[in-house]
Order: sequence, then C-alpha cells, then structure tokens
Amino acid sequence: MNLIKRKWTAAEADEWRKEDWIAILFSVLAYTFLTIGSALSFLLIPAGFVILGLGILSTLLMYYVIDPKLRTISSEYEKKQKEYLHQLDEIQRWEATK
Amino acid sequence: MITFAFLDWLWLTLFVLLMVFFGAYFYRLGKRSQSDFFLAGRGLPWWLPASSVYATHTATDTPIWVAGVIYKYGFAGLWYAFFSAWCAISAFVSTRIFRRSLAYSQAEWQGLRFGGLSAEMLRGWLAGWQVFMNMFILGWVGIAMGKLCSLLFGWELWVGLIVFTAIGAVYVLASGYWGVVMADFQQGIIALLVIIIVSIWGVIAAGGPQEIISKLKTYNSTCEWKIPVDTQNTGRAMIRLTDPETGRVFVRGVPFAIIQGENDRLFDRAEKKVDEQINNRHVQKSDMVHVLFPSSGDTLLAGHGYQLVWTAGKTGRLVNVDYSTDGGRSWNSIAVNHPDGQHWRIDLFSFTGWTEGQFPIAWFITMLIIALIGGFGMGTSIDWYPEAQRIQSAKTVRDAAYSIWAGSALVLVRNSIWAGAIMGFFVLFPYLGQSSEYEMGWYIVGFQYLPVGMVGFLFAGILAIHLSTVSTHLNLGAMYATRDFYHHYVNPQADEHKLVRFGRYSTFVILIGSFIFGTIIGEEITTWLIFALWIMAAGVWLPNILQVIWWRFNGWGYLSAWVANLGLSWLVVWILPHFGIIPALPDYLQFWLLIVLNAAIYLPVTFLTEPENMDHLVAYYVMSRPIGFWGPVKREAVRRGLIEGSLPRIKSD
Repeated sequence: MNLIKRKWTAAEADEWRKEDWIAILFSVLAYTFLTIGSALSFLLIPAGFVILGLGILSTLLMYYVIDPKLRTISSEYEKKQKEYLHQLDEIQRWEATK
Repeated sequence: MITFAFLDWLWLTLFVLLMVFFGAYFYRLGKRSQSDFFLAGRGLPWWLPASSVYATHTATDTPIWVAGVIYKYGFAGLWYAFFSAWCAISAFVSTRIFRRSLAYSQAEWQGLRFGGLSAEMLRGWLAGWQVFMNMFILGWVGIAMGKLCSLLFGWELWVGLIVFTAIGAVYVLASGYWGVVMADFQQGIIALLVIIIVSIWGVIAAGGPQEIISKLKTYNSTCEWKIPVDTQNTGRAMIRLTDPETGRVFVRGVPFAIIQGENDRLFDRAEKKVDEQINNRHVQKSDMVHVLFPSSGDTLLAGHGYQLVWTAGKTGRLVNVDYSTDGGRSWNSIAVNHPDGQHWRIDLFSFTGWTEGQFPIAWFITMLIIALIGGFGMGTSIDWYPEAQRIQSAKTVRDAAYSIWAGSALVLVRNSIWAGAIMGFFVLFPYLGQSSEYEMGWYIVGFQYLPVGMVGFLFAGILAIHLSTVSTHLNLGAMYATRDFYHHYVNPQADEHKLVRFGRYSTFVILIGSFIFGTIIGEEITTWLIFALWIMAAGVWLPNILQVIWWRFNGWGYLSAWVANLGLSWLVVWILPHFGIIPALPDYLQFWLLIVLNAAIYLPVTFLTEPENMDHLVAYYVMSRPIGFWGPVKREAVRRGLIEGSLPRIKSD
C-alpha cells in the first residue's frame, strides 16, 4: 500500500483521511517558511534562500498529496451541485422546510 | 506635499480609465442574475478569486499597520501579521465544507447548519452585523485615503474619501462581483508591482541589504517611550537601566526636563540628537554603558514619543528600562526585558521571555493557535466573510481551496517584502518615536525616493490598493442586504431582475453610509470599533470552530455565545480592571479568559436545549461532509442509505 493514496473513489475522497492531515501539515510549513524565507531573502541573507526553498518544496508536496483527492471530490460534487442549488433556492423562498 | 509631472498624471489617468472600462465591459454579465451579481456565476478558475483575496486584503491602511509593527518589533512584527495563516488549514477544511454548502454568505450558512428560530435569528444578526461592518470598513479605509490625499496634495479630507471610493462604486454598481473580481486581478498585479518596486527602492536608498545589516549591528540601543500626557513639569526626570534577572542597576542617566505643551522646535531638536546618538560609535569604545538620550540639558514634551538611546553591547541581552520624575526617589517602568542593540530586529524569534517584554513566547503561541487552529472554523477571522464570497465564486471545490491558499500565501509574502523595506526605512530614520511618523514609513520611502514620473505609478498602485478593498466591501455588504434580508425575509418570490436591482440600490446605500461613517470617524470612535472587532474575533473564536466540527453544538448555543461575549468582553477588558477586581491583562490573556468564561455559558445552554433536528443535520452532513465529531449524524446518513459508510453489515449464513 502506498504511503500517499493517489487514486480515489468518490466515497473515499469524501472521507477525511490521513492525506488531508499531511496536506495541512505541509500547508502550515509552507506558509511559515515562505514568510520567514521571503523576509530574509529580501535582505539577501543566505539562510533566507534556503528557507524560501523549503517553503516552495512544502508547497509542491502539499499539492502532490492533496490534488488527486481534491480533483475527485470536485468532479463528483459538481454532478450533484445543480440539485443542491435547487434545494437552496427553495429554502431561500420558504418553499421547503430546512 | 508632492507635485505630479506629466508622466505621473498619465499613469493615474490610464489606471482610472481602465477601471471604469471594466465596469462597462462586464455590465451585461453582472445583470444576468443574483448569482452573477454577487458570485460571478460560481464559475471562476482558482487564480481569479486568489488575486481578489490578495488585492482585497491589501488596503491603504495595511502598509501603515505593517510598517508600525515592523518598525517597533523588527522582523518579529511579521508574526503580528501572520493571522492570515488561518487559510493554511481553512483551504483544506472549512473552505471545502463551506463551498459544498453553496451558501452565498456566512449568514445563509447558519440557516443550513442550524434549524428553526435560532437559525433565523442567527441569520438576521449576522446579516445586520455584516452590512454594518462593511459600511464601517469602507468608511475606515475611505478616510485613510482622504488623509493620504490630504498629506500628499493638501486636499480636504472629504475629497479623497468621496472621489476615490465613488470611482470604485461605478464599476461595482454596473457589474457587481464580475467587476470586482476582474478589476481585483489587475489591481492585484499593479499593487504587487508597486510594492516590490518601492520596497527595493527603499532598501537601495538605505545603502543596500549589506549596509542595512551592518548598521543594525553598529547602531546604539533604543527603546520607544511615550511620555504619559499627564506628566507634570519637572527638571529632575531620569532614566535607568537594570538587569531583569538580578535587579542590578547597569546605569542611571543624568537629570533632564519634561514640560507640558507643544513645541515643534524642541521636538525636532530632540529627534536630531537621538539620530546623532544612535550613530555615536565613539562611546562604544568605553567599557561603560551610557544613557545617550535624554541627557543633561534635554527637554522632552509630555504626551510625545521618543526613542531613548544607550550604548549597545554593554548590558545583558535584555534590560529593564525605568524612568523617574523625582530625581530617582521612585521609578516607573517603560519596558521590561527590552532587547539590547539593534541586531535583534532581523531575528524573527527575538523572544523577550515567557510572559514579559514586547515579544513574549506566550503571546506567540496564542497567536499561532488563533491563526492556525482557527482554520478549522468559519468566522474565526474577520477576513473570513469576504473570503467566503470568493470561495463560493470558485467553479469547483478544488478551485476554492487553491484560491484561498494562494491568495493568502501572497499576502504573507507581501508582508515580508514590506518588512524588508521597513528595515531600510528604520536604518534611514532610526530616531522616530511617534508611531504616527514611522507608520507612514513605506509611503515616505515611495514618495521621497522614487524618481519623477514614477510617483504617479506609485499613486496608481495606492489607488489600486484602495479600489480593490472598497469594491469588495461595497459588493459584500450589498450581498448580505439583498440575499439575507430582502430575498429571504422581504420578497422571497423576487425574480432575478428585481434582485439585481435591489443589489444595486443597496450598494448605493452602503456607499452613502460609508461616507457618513468616514466623516464621523475620529480617534475615539475608531478605538471603540476596534474593540468591537477584537471581541467579535476573541469571544466567539471557539464557537466558530465548534459549529463546524461538532454535531451537538446547536443554534441556541452559538447564539448564546455571541450574546455572552458582548457582555463578558466589556467586563474583562474594561469594567473589572477599572474597579481593580482583576488586573489589566495583556491581550493574549484576555483572549484565553474570554474563551473559558464564554464556554461556561454556551456549553450549558447547548446541553440544556435540544440538538438540531436529525433530518436537518443529515441533510447538511450529506451535502457538506464536515470534519470532526459527527458520528451519530454520519451513522444515521449511512442507515438511510444516503452515503456509503463503514457500518458493520449483518452477514446472512
């Protein structure tokens, strides 16, 4: 079994799995490294470029981990969206009980 | 005051024409439906809402605020601006859940998550609050523009407020969110270019990166001191520096004078002396620590801010700074655990102790928790409300997630670029003790150091920054008025044509309201409303998360949290400290105290009232698939065959 799942069924993608948490971890690291790295790099401090590089790497890893799952969620959800929008309109117009 | 050359006017005119053109160009798309006027038809690729997130959160007052914290706290001030990091988690949690709900607004989402009377009350309350808040924010940024124009061109305040906000209103009235998001895309690019160019210019003006770091290593120590306004005239004021750990006195300065009143000549003379003493390397050859400013013969003005100066590198890493007005018989604190020298300014982790000083670890941890964990909730940051509109305008869940993530990443990188420029500004002007002076640092760099012909480009960038914020809040406020008031309560059967028309009317009303707010906003009102912003974020922070992650949290619990928070925050921030019942607490302790006190009210209310109706919860769950503690609802959804689940199947032999 792969450490990172790359192929998802619709039902699997709707669940909260470890890939979500790994992506969140990389996301937090990316924001932190990008903030620190950009500031230090702007003053040409060498450590800043290394940290900025880590920020970009974290961003790529985040994308690698979460993108297949997000694609599946999106494609499946869009099929139901029209029906949901219709329900939302009924609630808005008091034509349906919530 | 500045004077525009022909090229400056050209930049500015081209930019304004471009904005108005976009209003006209997207007019046909904006008028098609409510969904188009407020969400661009829910069909945008991720990079368009992302640029809008970035542009919206770059307002005219943002460089002022960022300059203020960086000048005062050095690079560690970046953590004050790190609250945008809530999007690190939100992009993959609350953004995903909210996008799946399809609610136009956060107020509408309350009606999907909760049911019955409590849900309607919450929707009405949030909608009213958001209409007010958007009007207030427009007045706030509008008057900031008015002040800037007054400073630059000598115009009356109302001219800058009305003229430039009205330009934004032209394309919002015409094409709604289509105009907002398309203009934001260009404004984002222009604003980013201007920020990068001006910031590089600022660093070059300071002698370049190496020179900035070199000067930070050699400058003497400074500590900002705003002399209390009620300090009586004295000729026996003194400064002393002590060791925070042992209490040993490092040095006691010589007496100087403090007087009441205004005197520009005296103040300018003092700033000049501060500047000289910060650069005074001669004293560093001595082994002794000296207080270099104020010294004998100096006269300081009560109610004014100064930088105290002493020789760097002769004390421990941290010092306590005190003052006396009676020749050293009694002492009052100016700063606790203040860093020595200036090199700490480029250290993002220049902590001043666990709970003491200007950058305590306890504050840092609290900020990280608020910023990051807040991403599990909805509304934990005031920025959530405009972001929610961008989330729904993205064409898919994936686009929504990436738009929020990328837009906020750009905001954080922008802050860092500004921080570099402000470090250059500090090296050029290290003597400023008045926050109103150094907060204008980035603008000063731009207008003083950019060459002729580029000043108009800078002003066009400032205008881009202003218009992107104004247009967003005009359209957002109008969306709450239209969708959550007019359509839901006043005219539920209104057709799309009527809804768009009402959207335009409410945009106009919010515009006029913002002018009124802008003209009446003074120091006092701003203080009160900043308090209102703070308590909205602090006391309901945890309930904003619980409503997303915990099925049992109901509408009455959430409503009681809002009501309780309004009362408790007044008690904790003002009333109890005023009567000496509790000490005046630092903001991070106020936050934790409010969390605990509020929970003591909304948790009993939640458990004493019925859970939301299971049919309602199941419908919400199947649609949104929230994270967290939703076990009973999920099991019911699986039992009804609405989703696939992991319930044990009964085997038939």
